[in-house]
Amino acid sequence: MEVVAKLLELAGIKRDRVQLRRVSAAEGALFAQYVNDVSETTANLGPFDKDKYQLQLAAIERACNTRRLRWLIGMEHHLQNHDNVYETRTNPDLVIETLDEAIESEYHKGLLLEVLKDGPLSVREMAEKTGMPVYTVSKRLNELESDGMAEFDSHEGTTPKFISLAA
Amino acid sequence: MTEKYEPKILAFLCNWCAYAGADLAGVSRFQYPPTLRVIRTMCSGRVDPLYVIEGFKSGYDAVFVSG
Repeated sequence: MEVVAKLLELAGIKRDRVQLRRVSAAEGALFAQYVNDVSETTANLGPFDKDKYQLQLAAIERACNTRRLRWLIGMEHHLQNHDNVYETRTNPDLVIETLDEAIESEYHKGLLLEVLKDGPLSVREMAEKTGMPVYTVSKRLNELESDGMAEFDSHEGTTPKFISLAA
Repeated sequence: MTEKYEPKILAFLCNWCAYAGADLAGVSRFQYPPTLRVIRTMCSGRVDPLYVIEGFKSGYDAVFVSG
């Protein structure tokens, strides 16, 4: 859940739109109260415009499907509270830091692959479409290239254009 | 007459906990807003991040997971 909330936040979607609550079978009143709370929070946030966030949601979906996030999702508790096979414990802050880094990078890469779906683009065009800074785009593009997910396609004038190799 | 905006919320409820809790809320006649669309899962751990995203893509205003 935390991972999803963080991804939504990166996409500019308020994290309060996803809520996780524990309710036991004997707690009808508590359930009713949570429903009230969630309805009120959502009513305050207003309607969600899914068309506006189409690109971002597709990128989140891509990110959630990456092997890296698949491995990391739900692991933070285990990593922080249990010893590993060498009987040492990972630094809890390092776990969160690693997770955050992975979430951000996979989300950015998801965005790039999403905009590259429609044909070759230059770094500047990608930055424009995704709203990311040019520097971040070229950094993530580099990562994609070394993963074999994107490559240089052609020159338009002197501007290099890139294509996606991902499905 | 202006109607108050009613959000559309997608709820994933665990069969053994929150779904039964929701049932109890109904039986005991607790009032709660009709904003929820419930999907029963056999465990709230069954809910994948992709389900949540799919909820937003289908136009829900919020996703509520309970178990």
